[in-house]
Amino acid sequence: MRPLDLWSHEIRRAGPAALLAPPVLVVLIALLAAFGTRLGSREGNTAWFLMIALEAGIPLVSGIAAASLIGRDRAVEVQLTLPTGYRSTLLRRLAVTAGWSCLCALAASALLIVTGWWDLPPGAPHGPAGQLAWLSPALWLTALGLLAAAAFRGTTAAATVVASVWVFEQVFSSVFRESPVFRLLHLFATTRGTAPGEWLPNRLTLLSTALLLAAAAWLLLGDAERTLEGEAK
Amino acid sequence: MIATFRYEFRMQIRRPVLWIVYGLTFAVTVAGFGHTYLDLNLGGDEGREPRPAMIVSAILLTSLLPIVYGCLLADRLVRDRRLGMTDVLDTTPAGRTGRLAGKYLGVCAATAVPLVLAYLGRAAAYAVTEGEPAALGWAAVILVTTVVPALLFVGALALAGPLLMPPLLFRVLFVVYWFWGNIIPATMMPTLSHSILSANSQYVAYGLLGFGHYRELPPNVILPPGGIVYGPWPGAALNFLRPEASPAVALLWIGVMIALAAAVLLLARLHTARTES
Amino acid sequence: MRIEISRLTKTYKGGVRALDGLDLDVPTGMYGLLGSNGAGKTTLMRILAGLLRPTSGTVRVGGHDITAADGRLAVQRTLGYLPQSLGVYPDLTARQFLDYIALLKGLDSRPSRRRRIGELLETVALTPDADRRLKGFSGGMLRRVGIAQALLADPRLLVVDEPTTGLDPEERIRFRILLSRLAGDRTVLLSTHIVEDVAQTCRSLAVLDKGRLVFRGEVGELVSRAERRVWTLTTSGPAPSQGRIVAALPEGAGTRYRVITPTAPGPSAQPAEPTLEDGYLALMEPGR
Repeated sequence: MRPLDLWSHEIRRAGPAALLAPPVLVVLIALLAAFGTRLGSREGNTAWFLMIALEAGIPLVSGIAAASLIGRDRAVEVQLTLPTGYRSTLLRRLAVTAGWSCLCALAASALLIVTGWWDLPPGAPHGPAGQLAWLSPALWLTALGLLAAAAFRGTTAAATVVASVWVFEQVFSSVFRESPVFRLLHLFATTRGTAPGEWLPNRLTLLSTALLLAAAAWLLLGDAERTLEGEAK
Repeated sequence: MIATFRYEFRMQIRRPVLWIVYGLTFAVTVAGFGHTYLDLNLGGDEGREPRPAMIVSAILLTSLLPIVYGCLLADRLVRDRRLGMTDVLDTTPAGRTGRLAGKYLGVCAATAVPLVLAYLGRAAAYAVTEGEPAALGWAAVILVTTVVPALLFVGALALAGPLLMPPLLFRVLFVVYWFWGNIIPATMMPTLSHSILSANSQYVAYGLLGFGHYRELPPNVILPPGGIVYGPWPGAALNFLRPEASPAVALLWIGVMIALAAAVLLLARLHTARTES
Repeated sequence: MRIEISRLTKTYKGGVRALDGLDLDVPTGMYGLLGSNGAGKTTLMRILAGLLRPTSGTVRVGGHDITAADGRLAVQRTLGYLPQSLGVYPDLTARQFLDYIALLKGLDSRPSRRRRIGELLETVALTPDADRRLKGFSGGMLRRVGIAQALLADPRLLVVDEPTTGLDPEERIRFRILLSRLAGDRTVLLSTHIVEDVAQTCRSLAVLDKGRLVFRGEVGELVSRAERRVWTLTTSGPAPSQGRIVAALPEGAGTRYRVITPTAPGPSAQPAEPTLEDGYLALMEPGR
């Protein structure tokens, strides 16, 4: 366990945008839960929005934050010569941004469970496994962001990949629902629906493929020369 | 301005990531849609005639690829400042406004090239396989009247946005904006989606190109006497932004896109004047 | 800490050969590495810092083989590295930046870390600016932050790449004195294309040209390469056509030229005492 001082530096490296976005989203969720009906939104609609803010909003923030990890580091050349491996440093930064997003998501889901909003959308998952509604897509997009950042060595391309996967799965969710293979990789199976009995397999497939993506990123990041080169030439 | 255009175009089009990311997204789209993408059939029989087929092809591409287009543009204006180029460029005879215009048109044109190639490539494939050379003409018309105005606006937004906020935050908000303001059904919540302000609206398709006549709907849908009406969504908020599609409204939409692009660029120009003077 | 380099070759993707069969022994103390831009100096520095993998050949630093992962880690524990262009986090103060790097170098104890950072800020004369954000620092101040971060873990090997580029004369002299003071029982490898830096700080040096070693030895030996080849000549006529003109100074109605050539460039030419720069230029003469 490294000193807390090092963690406090890594929190600072995450930057204000990555640290502020998740709590802002939680505040928006709380406001929508409190005032949505008064603003004229139907109860069913409000419940769906609250769930999509968790299932899609939190993963988008953590995915883009992961995609920005490498391209933003100005001191990468010195970092790569330090006895603390750069991969460990990146992992620590990822733990800060993704961990913070997850903490915020947990707080938001606790709020929704306590206020009863969680149970309103049809087919809403229950029990501890219900938390996979946001955890699985968040970890999957985070791993994808990290892999894209390691592969392209630039923020622009990596964030574009995360963004386009996110939009693709939203816009063409019917394509995912209908294909037995793609169905397992649908990030938004909670809010966009999936075949009966396929929700948990989908969440677990996302978690295991996230591990594969992260492992591929880990391998790519081990190559200092590649990381030093910067954005793909 | 022309020199800036030329160099910005070259710098952007030579970026391998431009081609890699578009390629990946396009490949996923084709793989995800399978035969639907090849037939250009979105549930009806739109794919049979060249005009609706090319409209459907444009709808498919412009739902997703503008996200790639916008995100790839998002670092181009702030990059000069990060690389310390602003001072050097300021000492050249080119004025800031001319440079901004050249940069905007150059990077937008370059970033649009893969998207346009994907679209025209699909049109060419259609023209050959279906024996319908008219598809190429319709593709060109749709490109100029529908795709280009949308890309002009989205390009201005993506270029100027990161001046006001960290690029990370901008990318998140850009995705949320695209989803909220262009994709979701208008009845879901108050949204700009499908309105005269939306880059993804189909006013030109319905108002100018008569797409409504080609749409075949299930027999249980009862159409009003005038056929399919594109515009107001029953029960949606902000319907005053969704006039009924007509040739005049289609032209208005084109004008609105160009005016919004100009307004965003003007704001960007004012912002750089304030922060760099 | 001795550096032993044998048949070191580095070829980049695309076929550019930056180092070509380099053999070099660097002893403890201050050692200069001279060469024009593109000679392969930065590539060599980056290989020594563990940033680049050699295409072939061996590099041992203090007995550790840096082509192996454990050897590289062992070297990185004793290494201080100042890259040619040091990137910093502009939102941090100098003290915070050094604290962060110190933690990554394994200086976990807060009191000893603070003490060390205080000493180094004093060494590089940045104590008054220690709590200012780095985004407001001049190029010279950033170089000094760079050298401070390189010295944090009291390294046995200090690799500094073009440290004086862009510094004003005062800063440059201060930097040279600092580097010389640091050498002592360390190995300090100073890579530069500024001959004067080496002349003022190193006893031994190597010269690289197009990825190959073209000289290694004492500074005096390189100077002697220009012996009896340096001339001064004052003329109001055309510049001497023979040899290589290394300086031209207006003098009265004419110009005083300093020329490197084996034979006198004119009847009024006078032999001159060679400098290290003359030696370097004589070495680099085409067809030497």
